[in-house]
Amino acid sequence: MSATAWGWLVLAFPLAGTVVISLGWRALPGRMAGWLGSGAILAAFVCAVGATVKLQKLAPHARHASSTLFDYAHSAGINIGMSIYVDPLSLFMALVVSGVSFLIHVYSVSYMTSDRGYSRYFAYLNYFVFSMLLLVLAGNIIILIVGWAGVGMASYILISFWYRRTTATAAGMKAFVMNVIGDVALVLAAFLLWRHAGHHVSFNGIFAGSKQAFGTNNGTLIAACLLLTVGAFAKSAQVPLHTWLPDAMEGPTPVSALIHAATMVTAGVYLIARFHPLYELAPTAADITAGFAAFTLFYAATCALAITDLKRIIAYSTISQIGYMMLGVSTGGYDGGLFHLMTHAFFKALLFMGAGSVIGAMAGIQDIDRMGGFRKSMRFTYVTFVVGALALASFPPMSGWFSKDEILGFDVHRGGYYLVLAIIGFAAALITAFYSFRMVFRVFHGAAVPEAQSLERGELAHGEHLNPMTGEHEDTDVGFPGAEHHIAEREWPMKFAMSILAVLAIIGGIVGIPGVTHWLRNFLDPVFADSKFINTQPTDTSSWIGLVVGAGIALAGITIAYVCYIRQPGTTGRIAARVPALQRLFVNRWYWDELYDALFVRPSATLGNFGRYVVERAFVQGTLVGGATRIVGVGTAIARGLENGYIRAYAVLMLLGFGGLGLYFLLQAAF
Amino acid sequence: MTTLLIAAAKAPVIDYKGISPLFAVAGGAVIVLMAALIRGRFAQRVLVPFLTVGALGAAIGLSIWNWHTGDSRPIVEGALAIDPLALGLSLLFYITGLATVAFAWRSRALRESGTGEFFGLMLGSIAGMTILGSAENLITLFVGIELLSIPLYVMCASDVRRETSLESGLKYLVIGSVGSATLLYGLALIYGATGHTGFAEINNAIGNSVNLTDPLLLTGIALAAAGLAFKASVAPFHAWTPDVYEGAPTPVTAFMAVATKTAAFAVILRFFLEALVSAQEQWAPALAALAVITIIVGNVGAIAQNSLKRMLAWSGVAQAGYMLAGVVVGTQLGLQATAFYLAMYLFMNLAAFGVVIARERVSEHGDGLKSLEGLGSASPLLAWPMTIAMLSLAGFPATAGFIGKFYLISAAVDGNWAWLGVMIVVGSMLSLVYYLRVIAVMWMTPLKIELPGRPRRARREVQPVAGWSPEADPRAQPEVLLVTLIMAAATIFFGIVPSPLFHLAHDVGTSISALFS
Repeated sequence: MSATAWGWLVLAFPLAGTVVISLGWRALPGRMAGWLGSGAILAAFVCAVGATVKLQKLAPHARHASSTLFDYAHSAGINIGMSIYVDPLSLFMALVVSGVSFLIHVYSVSYMTSDRGYSRYFAYLNYFVFSMLLLVLAGNIIILIVGWAGVGMASYILISFWYRRTTATAAGMKAFVMNVIGDVALVLAAFLLWRHAGHHVSFNGIFAGSKQAFGTNNGTLIAACLLLTVGAFAKSAQVPLHTWLPDAMEGPTPVSALIHAATMVTAGVYLIARFHPLYELAPTAADITAGFAAFTLFYAATCALAITDLKRIIAYSTISQIGYMMLGVSTGGYDGGLFHLMTHAFFKALLFMGAGSVIGAMAGIQDIDRMGGFRKSMRFTYVTFVVGALALASFPPMSGWFSKDEILGFDVHRGGYYLVLAIIGFAAALITAFYSFRMVFRVFHGAAVPEAQSLERGELAHGEHLNPMTGEHEDTDVGFPGAEHHIAEREWPMKFAMSILAVLAIIGGIVGIPGVTHWLRNFLDPVFADSKFINTQPTDTSSWIGLVVGAGIALAGITIAYVCYIRQPGTTGRIAARVPALQRLFVNRWYWDELYDALFVRPSATLGNFGRYVVERAFVQGTLVGGATRIVGVGTAIARGLENGYIRAYAVLMLLGFGGLGLYFLLQAAF
Repeated sequence: MTTLLIAAAKAPVIDYKGISPLFAVAGGAVIVLMAALIRGRFAQRVLVPFLTVGALGAAIGLSIWNWHTGDSRPIVEGALAIDPLALGLSLLFYITGLATVAFAWRSRALRESGTGEFFGLMLGSIAGMTILGSAENLITLFVGIELLSIPLYVMCASDVRRETSLESGLKYLVIGSVGSATLLYGLALIYGATGHTGFAEINNAIGNSVNLTDPLLLTGIALAAAGLAFKASVAPFHAWTPDVYEGAPTPVTAFMAVATKTAAFAVILRFFLEALVSAQEQWAPALAALAVITIIVGNVGAIAQNSLKRMLAWSGVAQAGYMLAGVVVGTQLGLQATAFYLAMYLFMNLAAFGVVIARERVSEHGDGLKSLEGLGSASPLLAWPMTIAMLSLAGFPATAGFIGKFYLISAAVDGNWAWLGVMIVVGSMLSLVYYLRVIAVMWMTPLKIELPGRPRRARREVQPVAGWSPEADPRAQPEVLLVTLIMAAATIFFGIVPSPLFHLAHDVGTSISALFS
C-alpha cells in the first residue's frame, strides 16, 4: 500500500468509529462504545505508523505524496479535490494526535463509566479525532478549513458535553464564538492567497505562487499571514483570543486533556509550521506573531500563579506552553516548536489525567485550596503527576527540558529582537517551574484533607453533586456528570494510559538530544528543506549551555516553591498581602474577560436589547406585523361576510366581476 | 345511393388512434351503466368499480401510446386535436378519476345514488374534460364544458338524502348555468366579430380582418373570460366554490377540486394562448388583475375556516390565482409552468383530500379541523401525508409545491411579469397561516389514552382522536390510505427529483409552437 492509502485509512477508522457508535449505541453493552472508539483510534495510529514506514523508504526529497478521492467542489475557476497530503510534518502530527488520543480514549473508558452520556461521549471523541486528522492530513487549504471547522465543532460539543450545566453551555458558546473569529480570519486568508497567488488551493501551489507573486514583506502577503495568525491564535488560545480556553475546562477532564491541551489547541502551531514559506517571505508578520506569542507565554504563566482551580491552572499552563511553541515556529525554530508540541502533548495530557484522578478523589471539587495530603492515599497518581510537573518545569532529564530549551536556544542564537523574546521565555520558565510545584505541593503534600483521610481508609469520598463553579445542585442523569467518581488507583485503563504517558514524558526527549540524537530533526528536514533557517542552528555546545541554564532555572523555581509551600507555608500569602494589586491582577487574569465584556459583550447586548424592545416589539411586531395582521383579519371578515350562502349574493358578485372585466375591455375598445 | 356516397365523401376524417382515449372513457361510461344493471353485491361492489378502473386504465394506456411532441395533430377535422398539452392534462384527469374511485368506494354517496350511475357520470364528466383538453374550436369547447359540468351537478347531489349535498348540487347548477350562459354569449360574440369558430382561424383573423380594438370582439373576450374564470373558480367568480365544495360528497369534492380545475385551465390555456394569442396585449392585464384578486381573496378567505373542505376550497381559489399568473405570461415557459403546477396540484390536493375522507368517516367532527386533533400520534400514516400536502401547498422546499411555485415565478419573471411573481410569494406567505394551522392541530396536542397493542408490539398511549373507534385506524380503509400515501410520496419524490416531470412539461410547452419561447 502506498503512503496515501495508509493516510486514507488513518481517516477512515475514526470516521467509522463515529458512525458505528452514533448509530449503534443502543446495541452496545456496557463499556463497548468506549472500547470500540479506542480500537478505532488505535487502528488509525497503526495506519499512521504504516504510512510513516512507507514514506521513510523514499529518498528525503521525495517524501511527500498527495491523493484525491473525489471532487469536493468543482466550479468556475476553482477545482477543490477531497485530497490528503502526506509528508513528514502531517504524519508527525497524525502520529502525535492518534497516539495521544488512543491513550486518552482508554483513560476515558474508565473515567466516564458512570456518565449517562457514555456512548455519545465516545461518538463525539471519535468525531473530534477524525476532524483533527483531516485537518493535519488535508491536501489543500479548503479541506484544511473543513477539518479546522470540524475540530471547532467537536470542541464546542465536548465543552458543552454536560449540556444541562449552564456554565458548560455558556463556556461552549464562548469557545465557539472565539473560534469562529479565527475561522473567518482563516477563510479570508485562504481567499487572499487564492486571489493574489495564482488561484491555487494546494499548499505547494500556494507557496510557489506566492514566491512568484509577492516580494519580501509584500503588504498583501503580510495581511494574509496575519490573518493566518489570527486563525492560529483563536484555535491555540493565544492572547488576545485566549479567554475561551480556561472556560473550556467545563468539559470532562479527558476532553481537557485531549482537545484543550494535547491536540486541538496545537493546530495553530501546525498551521504556522505548514505555512512557514509564507512567514519566511513576510518576516514582519512572523515577528508580530512571535511578539504576541512571547507575551502570551509570560502572561499565562503569571495567571497560573494565582488561580486556585486545579484544571484552570493547567489550562493557563497550556496557553503558556503553546506560546513557547508559537514562538518557536514563528521565529524559524520549527523543529523545536514541533518537538515541544510532542513532549507537551505527553506531559500535559498526563497532568490532566492526574488532575482528573484527584478531582475524582475529591468527588468533583476542583479548588486546590480544599485539597492537600493526597501523597499517601494516591501513590500512583502522585508519582505520575510529579513526573508531569517535572517535565512541565523542564527539569533534566525530562522531555520538556530538551524541547523547551531547544526553542529558547534557537532564539538566543538568532539574537537581537529574538534574544529579548528568549529572555522573556526564560523568565516565564522560572514561573512555570514554580507553579508546577505549587500544584504538586498544594495537592499532594501538607495535611491530609478529609477526602484524603477517607481514601487512606479505603473509601472513595462521595460528595454532593454540585457544579464546581457555582455550587448549584445537580442530579446525575444524562446532561450532568455521572454518579460515581473514578480514580487511577482503582481503574486499570486509567493506570495504563497514565503509565505510558509518564514513560513518554520522561524519555520523550530522546528524539532530540543536542549532539547525540537528531532523530526528529532528520525526520522533519524534508519539509523544512526550503527554509532559510535550516542552517541557522546553534552549535551543540551552545545548546548544552542553554540546557544547563534551563535546568538551573527549573531547579530554582522548584526550590522557591518548596520553600514557599513546604518549608515556610504561608509565604505566598504574605507576599500577596504585600502587593495586593498584583495579586488581584493575576487572580483576575489581567482583566481580559472584563475588557471584552466592556468592549464587545455589553455594547452588543445593548444593541440587541434596543433591537428587541424598540425595533422588534414596538415597530416590527406592533406596527408592521400588527398592522398587516389587522388588514388580513378585516379581509377575512369581509370574505366570510360575502359568503352568506345565498345564490343571489353570488350572482351579484359575479355580475360585479363581469362588469369590471367588461368595462376594462370596452375602455380598451374606446381608446 | 348517390346521397349516401355524397354523405360518405363529406363525412369528417377521423383519426381513430388519436380519438381512442376519448372512446375508452365514453365507451366505459356506457359499459359501466349497463353492467350496473346486474343485481347483486359482487356486480355492484366489485365489477362496476373494476370496469371504471379498466376504462380509465385503458385511456391512460392509449394516451401514452398517442404521445408525441410538437404541434397538434387534428383528429376530427378541425374540431379536436391531440398534442402533448391535451394528452398530458388528460392523464391528470384519468389519474384523478382512479383516485376518485378509491375515495368513493366506501362512501355513502355511492350507495345512495347507485354505483353505476355514480361512476357512469364520473366517466362522462371525464369524457367532457378530454374533449375540452383537445378542443380546437368554439363549438367543441362549449360541448366539452357542458359535458363536463352536467354530470358534475348530479354528482354533487348524489348523497340524495343529505340536505347540504342537494343544496350544493342545486347551487352549482344555478350558478354554473349563469357561467355557461356567459361563456356561450362570449363565444357567440367572438364568432360574430371574427366570423370563425376554429381557434387557428380566429387567431389569424384578429389583427387582420378584425381590428384589435373591435368592441364586439373585446366584449366577447370579456364574457368568455368571465365564464371560464367561473369554471376555474377565479375570484370574483369563485363565490360558489366554498359552498359547493363543502356540501358535495367529499370524493366528488376531490374530483372537482383537481380534475375540474385542471380541465378549466386546459381550456383557458388553449383558448387564450391559441385562439386569442394575437390579442394578448389586450387580455393579459385583465387576467393579471384577476390573478392578483384571486390570490388575495383565496388566501384571505381560507384563514379562519374551520371546515377542512372549505379551507381546501379557498386554498384551491388561491392556487388558481397562482396558475393564472402562468397563463398571463403567455410564453412557452409560462405554459410549461402552468402544466407542471397542475400536475403538482393533483398530487398534493389528492393527498390532502384522502386524509379528509379517511377522517370524516370516523370522526364526530366530520370534516372539521377538530377531526385532525392528535392525529400525529394516533395515526401517523394519515398525519404525515396531510403534513406533506400542507407543506407542499404552502410551497416548502423539498416538496412538489416548491418546485411548482418556483417554476411559475421564474416563468413570470422571465416574461417581464416580475410583480406577479412577487404576488405569488406574498400569497404563499399568507397561506402559511392556515396550512400550518392544520399541521399544528395534528401534531401539537398532548397524548392521553392507551391503544390495545398489536401482537409483539408495546401498547401505545395516544390522544383520543375525536370520535375515536376501531375504524379510526386508517388500515380500516386501505384503498384511501393507499392513494393518500402514493400521492404524498409523489409530492416528496417530485419535490426532490422533478426532472421527469420537467421533461413532460417541456413536451407540453411545445404544443403551441406559435408562442414566444
